Amino acid sequence: MRYLIELYLKYRFWLIFIALEVVSLVSLVKFNRYQGSVYFTTANTVSGAWYSFTSSISSFFELRSENERLEHENEMLRKRLNDLRSGLKEDENTIDLLSEKNRDLRSYDFVGAHVVNATLNRANNVFTIDRGLDDGVKEMAGVVCSSGVVGVVFKASAHYAVVVPLINEKSMVSCKLDTTDYFGTMQWQMGRPDISYLNNIPRHAKVRVGMEVETNGFSDIFPEHIPIGKVERVEDSADGLSYSLAVKLYTDFSKLRNVSVIKNYARKERKELEMKVDTLLMDKE
Amino acid sequence: MNETIKHRIIRLVAILLFQILLCNNIHILGYASPIVLPYLTMKFHRGSARESLLIWGFVIGLIFDIFSNTMGKGMASCTLLGMLQPYLLRLFSPNESVDMLVPSFKSMGFDRYIYYAVSSMLIFHLVFYFLEDFSLNHVRLMVTGALLGTALAVLFTVIADVLLPKDANID
Repeated sequence: MRYLIELYLKYRFWLIFIALEVVSLVSLVKFNRYQGSVYFTTANTVSGAWYSFTSSISSFFELRSENERLEHENEMLRKRLNDLRSGLKEDENTIDLLSEKNRDLRSYDFVGAHVVNATLNRANNVFTIDRGLDDGVKEMAGVVCSSGVVGVVFKASAHYAVVVPLINEKSMVSCKLDTTDYFGTMQWQMGRPDISYLNNIPRHAKVRVGMEVETNGFSDIFPEHIPIGKVERVEDSADGLSYSLAVKLYTDFSKLRNVSVIKNYARKERKELEMKVDTLLMDKE
Repeated sequence: MNETIKHRIIRLVAILLFQILLCNNIHILGYASPIVLPYLTMKFHRGSARESLLIWGFVIGLIFDIFSNTMGKGMASCTLLGMLQPYLLRLFSPNESVDMLVPSFKSMGFDRYIYYAVSSMLIFHLVFYFLEDFSLNHVRLMVTGALLGTALAVLFTVIADVLLPKDANID
């Protein structure tokens, strides 16, 4: 107590000064509307910044428990996702994949089918599926599965159809490198059933191993953005004028079972238009 | 009644009336008004108790605020001037002056007294106009107002110094 009194006596001038200034400033913000509003606005900003600062510090120290909680939640969600995936049919998965990849699939429909016969060790491999003309499957219709492109319908009967898969030397699918948009033709060479070749990629194209190859939507068979595979090797073409890319196919043809046939409602319209233009051009010539 | 206290009361009333009736109605460029009440704080003699200077400064500021509806601004400015007055007086008073020197032309000399008055009034007006504006968005206007107010207040201070009664034995 004595120490406090001594302290007061020593600093009483400054204590009185501070007390009088505080009284003055309190009066200022209390009795003057403008100064009061400025003070409270500033005080709110300062206290808001302070609370934000302290909360960011406290949340930093809570990161560990938050991480654990998120990890646990992720684990639960992964389990749930797996359950949902296994509960869905594969052809539905295919449709989902296509829906994600394509901005406008309103003109396309899909017919689920099962592969009932397949050859894998020939130069001209073919697959037979259990859907035909009666199911809306027509010749030159695209066939896909959950992992990507399978092939093109070659012939169709009432209840069955024969598909020329990507692993057929006569198969030619127009596709592109997804990030660069350079396009070429996918052709298979007898040998490994998981590797096909994307030819005619210009030499000035910047090609990297690992780039994704997908359909380019140029033909009316496949919509754009259906995945085909990933670039595994970059090789020169036989004539040396372009690149030939060895593409690791996403589709595992050796255990292919469920596929979907693409029905393109706009095909007829597109064909008619293209034919009309061809006729006009021929007339002019 | 002590002659000195009588003179101080006459000074207070005269300055207060002058402030309320005249200075509060002067608005140079529409916003700068001179405040002459700090003259009373300025006039405290050397060696006055510093605490009493603070309290007098506070009271003078309070009286000004009550009559001018500027609650807090005059109090804060005048209290600050009360705190700084001994330092300013020491800075501008001549070396061989008397211990109980009361600031005036006669005791300090014309130049020193004007410097003292200008610095005291400028500090007061700068603080007052800052509290009036309460932001730094219009610093130029604030400083202009303070300078114009100071100029007029110093002029009135000189007039008051000539006209008002002086403390006996000190002035």
